[in-house]
Amino acid sequence: MTKEQEQGIPPGWTYNPATWGQRLPIVGLAIVGMIAAGYLGLFQLKLVPEVWEPFFGNGSRKILTSSTSKILPIPDAVLGAIGYLTDAVAGAVGGTKRWRTMPWIVVIFGLLVGPLGMISILLVVLQPVLYDAWCTICLFTAFISVIMIGPAMDEMLASMQFLKRAKDAKVSLWKAFWGYKEVLDRVN
Amino acid sequence: MWAQIINALLGLWLMAAPAVLGADKMIANNDHIVGPLIASFAIISWWEATRVVRLYNVPLGLWLLVAPWILGYDNTTAIVNDMLVGVLVIGLSFVKGKVEGKFGGGWSAIWKEETPHAQEARRQPRI
Repeated sequence: MTKEQEQGIPPGWTYNPATWGQRLPIVGLAIVGMIAAGYLGLFQLKLVPEVWEPFFGNGSRKILTSSTSKILPIPDAVLGAIGYLTDAVAGAVGGTKRWRTMPWIVVIFGLLVGPLGMISILLVVLQPVLYDAWCTICLFTAFISVIMIGPAMDEMLASMQFLKRAKDAKVSLWKAFWGYKEVLDRVN
Repeated sequence: MWAQIINALLGLWLMAAPAVLGADKMIANNDHIVGPLIASFAIISWWEATRVVRLYNVPLGLWLLVAPWILGYDNTTAIVNDMLVGVLVIGLSFVKGKVEGKFGGGWSAIWKEETPHAQEARRQPRI
């Protein structure tokens, strides 16, 4: 085993994207997002009477009680908080070589972070366009969602390249995706 | 990366511009839609592995150049602002900046053959 392989550096890479130094900041951001969205969700569930809004007057109240926020059976900020929680869990599960030992969790992580970011951007657009209002904490959580995308994607790239090598080695992609040992013995 | 920080700020500026400069609802909507998109693509490209996403801002910048004429802006300040931001965003999108890491050939290496990661994996001993 080479030094790179011991450190879990993917072939042709200069660093390992699955180290804790790489992943913990993303998990931390997800937890901050969960707390902020959870607070907004408590307001939407009427468990706290007022929502903190330092800049835009009645804006947060308007956005958080808008018809868009009630499209689904659960208030949208509560869904957001659940989304951030799953981000944090998917970011934390697995060891530092999980890009090859557990591609499934890396791919799920990437798929969670990507769409959650997209939805955040969409919600930011809808605030002024539909309701002529801004919501400070909503903007803050959207910023967190967007800032998580870049650092999460390098791990996703390493896993996708691993799956490509498994495919080229004529190994079952299914088994590679779930991290079967027989695949790990044959594909670097 | 500094170029993409400026592009993120330009996106934020577009979000604020209708309130600062004054604009009708159509102009404001355009800025409120394009601004967050530019800021998001710029922020995603702060990281080396996703630096390529900066190029998604080129079509958005081009749209800012033509939008005042297609949508028929009647507000000179807004026309100048959108076109100026458009030019800056396009120019800065092409600034790649320093990429020090290597990524096994990057995103296209997921479907291409004979990529750096495949070649390096062949050289390495089986784990």
